[in-house]
Amino acid sequence: MAANTPRRSHTRDYVIATVLTLLMIGGMLLILHNITDAVNHPLTTLKPRGEEARKIDDLSRLVFGIAGLVFVFVEGGTLFLVYRFRRRHDDVDGEDEPVQVHGRSVLEWTWTAIPALTLAILAAFNVSTLWDLESDAEQAKMSVEVIGQQWWWEFRYDTNNDGKPDIITANQLVIPTKTMVAVKIASNDVIHSFWIPALNGKKDAVPGRVHRIALHADEPGVFEGQCTEYCGLSHGYMRMQVKALSASDYDAWVENQLSGPVEPKDGTLAAEGKTVFDQKCASCHQINGYTPAGEQTDSHEPNPDYGGAEHPLISGNAPNLTHLMSRDHFAGGMFPLYDSYDEAAPKTSAMPDGVANQGELGDWLRDPPNKKPMAADRARGMPNLNLSEDEIGKLVAYLTTLK
Amino acid sequence: MAVIEADTTQLALPTAPKPTKPLGIFARPVATKGWKSWLFSVDHKRIGIMYGVASMSFFAIGGSEALLIRTQLARPGQKLLSAALYNQVFTMHGVTMIFLVVMPLFAAFANYLIPLQIGARDVAFPRLNAFSFWCYLFGGLFLNSSWFLGGGADGGWFNYAPNSSVTFSPGHGIDFYTLGLLITGIASTVGAVNLIITVMNLRAPGMTYMRMPVFTWMTFINQFLLLFALPPITVALFLLMFDRLFGANFFNAALGGDPLLWQHLFWLFGHPEVYIMVLPAFGMVSEILPVFSRKPIFGYPFMVASGVAIGFMGFGVWAHHMFASGMGPVSVTAFSLSTMFIAVPTGVKILNWMATIYGGRLKMTAAMMFALALIPLFTIGGLSGVTHAFAPADTQQTDTYYIVAHFHYVLFGGSFFVLLGGFYFWWPKIFGFMLDEKLGKWHFWLTFIGFNLTFGPMHMLGLQGMSRRIFTYSEGQGFDLWNFVATIGAYIIAISVIVFLVNCWVSYRRHKANPVNPGPDPWDARTLEWSIPSPTPEHNFDYVPQIEELDDFWHRKYGHDEQGRPVKIADAADIAQKGDAKNVHLPSPSYWPIVVSAGLPFIAYGLIFNLGWAILGSILLAGGVWGWVIEPSTAPASEHPHDDSGHGDEPDGSADAAAAELPAAEREEAPVG
Repeated sequence: MAANTPRRSHTRDYVIATVLTLLMIGGMLLILHNITDAVNHPLTTLKPRGEEARKIDDLSRLVFGIAGLVFVFVEGGTLFLVYRFRRRHDDVDGEDEPVQVHGRSVLEWTWTAIPALTLAILAAFNVSTLWDLESDAEQAKMSVEVIGQQWWWEFRYDTNNDGKPDIITANQLVIPTKTMVAVKIASNDVIHSFWIPALNGKKDAVPGRVHRIALHADEPGVFEGQCTEYCGLSHGYMRMQVKALSASDYDAWVENQLSGPVEPKDGTLAAEGKTVFDQKCASCHQINGYTPAGEQTDSHEPNPDYGGAEHPLISGNAPNLTHLMSRDHFAGGMFPLYDSYDEAAPKTSAMPDGVANQGELGDWLRDPPNKKPMAADRARGMPNLNLSEDEIGKLVAYLTTLK
Repeated sequence: MAVIEADTTQLALPTAPKPTKPLGIFARPVATKGWKSWLFSVDHKRIGIMYGVASMSFFAIGGSEALLIRTQLARPGQKLLSAALYNQVFTMHGVTMIFLVVMPLFAAFANYLIPLQIGARDVAFPRLNAFSFWCYLFGGLFLNSSWFLGGGADGGWFNYAPNSSVTFSPGHGIDFYTLGLLITGIASTVGAVNLIITVMNLRAPGMTYMRMPVFTWMTFINQFLLLFALPPITVALFLLMFDRLFGANFFNAALGGDPLLWQHLFWLFGHPEVYIMVLPAFGMVSEILPVFSRKPIFGYPFMVASGVAIGFMGFGVWAHHMFASGMGPVSVTAFSLSTMFIAVPTGVKILNWMATIYGGRLKMTAAMMFALALIPLFTIGGLSGVTHAFAPADTQQTDTYYIVAHFHYVLFGGSFFVLLGGFYFWWPKIFGFMLDEKLGKWHFWLTFIGFNLTFGPMHMLGLQGMSRRIFTYSEGQGFDLWNFVATIGAYIIAISVIVFLVNCWVSYRRHKANPVNPGPDPWDARTLEWSIPSPTPEHNFDYVPQIEELDDFWHRKYGHDEQGRPVKIADAADIAQKGDAKNVHLPSPSYWPIVVSAGLPFIAYGLIFNLGWAILGSILLAGGVWGWVIEPSTAPASEHPHDDSGHGDEPDGSADAAAAELPAAEREEAPVG
């Protein structure tokens, strides 16, 4: 067999290779369609809804695009090579032998240099995005302290700039739209990670450190988040939301948060609930203006050291419940507080309205570790307080008044 | 050490009366059959096989853990495993697969193949080799015994402080993790030293560095990675042990410690570790593709150099695991850039493999299919790796299932596929019979489909925001579909493993019923291990081969015509060694490696439960070392004259390198086409 006369036509090979490549590209487009569907994927990283996330997304699209080209080239190329150069049944040993090629320096230097140069160009986009995000966090006018603990998030606002927090809330961070907000992330126990994919990438909450990132939301909305650094037992159930409100709604929200707690009227079930709360809950959960013993203080500013050194929890804190019902969820962003809460299209008003989700709250109080894994015996998380049905009824009545 | 112990007086006076046999355990064991011949063996081949069997057994454990994870995640809100148990299971799955499966499987192949590929009788320190294996096995058993002694480690394989402290993980699981990894770390360190010395000193005459097979090269580089990567993790584990057992506060921020210190130490080991688990796979692919393409590896010097480059750069990228940890924008920039550029040598390898099969005549054996699969699968893992080298993009991707997809494409799609290919390829050399090809292809397709169904969807889950290490997810988060698909894939992988076991069993039965020796060279291969009979004789080589060029054995079988096509000049069966040499010096078996290593888990149990056990362990350890030192260097009664030196009669390879240059140059083929 002469070496330079091809034994068979390869047209069929090329047709098959083309069809396979088209199928592959088609498959990729279908998958792309699925993964970019934001409505059914509240945590998706592919639909930015604020400036910071958009900067990341712009960079990612560039990188995914180039990686996609390489992917098609290598995958398609390998398939083609395997098909084209496979051993055929009519190949004869000793005759149909391949030419022994040991290497080609020019080729090899070329395919070392091309990726290196491509990456060098991409590096410029990488570094500029990185420092851009960093400077946004540095220059933001407004800031909120974000404190991770097993297994929920606390948010502290200092609206009058006196160096002391005057709003302490949990699980749902409220920010104004169209404003660059720096979040200063810290931790009270182990490492957590604060992540709202629609607004920005994640940043770890490390004990002994404060890390900053910027959040910016284009429009009002509720954006889902999830703790993404493994933080022990209930890591999977450590969730949070960011609620972005228009400027006027945000002001209304701040005004409500700065007001004192709703006081139940004497003789109501809620008033009896307050008594139960003082006995059973107040040692960990703060109602602004009350001590852990249930005594009223002169101010209704939150106490940042509520409980203090004698506090039974390792993290030193449990969620502040003063304005519980101004949030959409409880227990680390897990369970909705309102029957009418619609995950797909959450309302964005300063105060959620509708019917309180008494069943879910009652269930929780009956046995918290059953609804969300806790290590309460190790002073981490909420124990089962063995409340009677009567006490649970009273507590729910009280808690649902805390607007 | 071996050299010092060699009993030169016996060699000098062959006619002297035999020395009286020392008493009992102070003699060298002589069994060549039965369990004793395995327990006390120092033969690199037996140790390699034991590494293989042990790591595949741990694979069964790690694989079952993977199935538990996937079953839990098949649907939202499942409660098959409690959160506490799930956290232990995913931790132990990672620890098992990394430290007890992939690393030791490569140790298995390295042990078996390196002496054969460089033309040596054994490794440099045969008893230390046995010691490495037993440390690994006892360390692995110790780690897994935690399941019966209060529960497994629950901190993740990365085990970040301070979640790993007694306050947050009060059980003993993390103590098992710490001490178990220290023990297996001894195994790896000792093994690394042993193999480095072996490759440097025991190469056959004419086997210069640039004539070594690529597998030997990559494994050689790998041992340096191990040697330099293990100290940081050892330091980290010791600090953690002191924190947990003795109340030190290295990682306690409240008392001036730093949780990020753990991350830096861990990843300074952890990232080279990734390359440790993948470089030997690159080597294996570079052996298997040329054989079944009937072409030499394309660009041998580039393959070697890119391996070395990856080895060096692998130490400069560790903090890319920490882009979200808050280490500051300068560090992030530096590590982001270094990580981007480590893609370059890896990309060179991919293209060189494609160039190797280009123009070849690809024989689609099971081994070839598994090896070929590395190209597309590792490329996917490599490309997703590049996407998170971009630090801003990484802050959206890290700690999501996108990362889980990434490293499974690298470690399973890259390393484990090739290891399976390695089984099919070297099985006849090791066991003297072939694995069934038809079942092998079933095995391949099931693994390939199952793998892609399991880990492909995880890319989408990650980009859709599913976090890693969550014990369940909720309806409405949009994770249902792809999780279900991934679980189906996991069960297909499980079936493929069963097909592999069936293949081993069926092929073995067939061989027993009707023994057909595959001959020395069933694949028409290129490297030295195929120039000796299958299975490999105890003494490996009848005589030490003289090496004249890269792929020396191939070039003794094939010349070439004017177009550069191979022309057969000799039959493998004619030029292969017969394996019938007598009176070859071999290292004697020894009781002591297993005794010394058995002391370590007892010390570890002692540190956790009751110091009494530690005293027992220390006695074993010290007694074992004493016995090791005083045992005689030979076992006069055994079939082969043994001593402790694995290389009694071959000259030093590098010394002859210059002399061998000339004939090699003469025989060099003109590259054509």
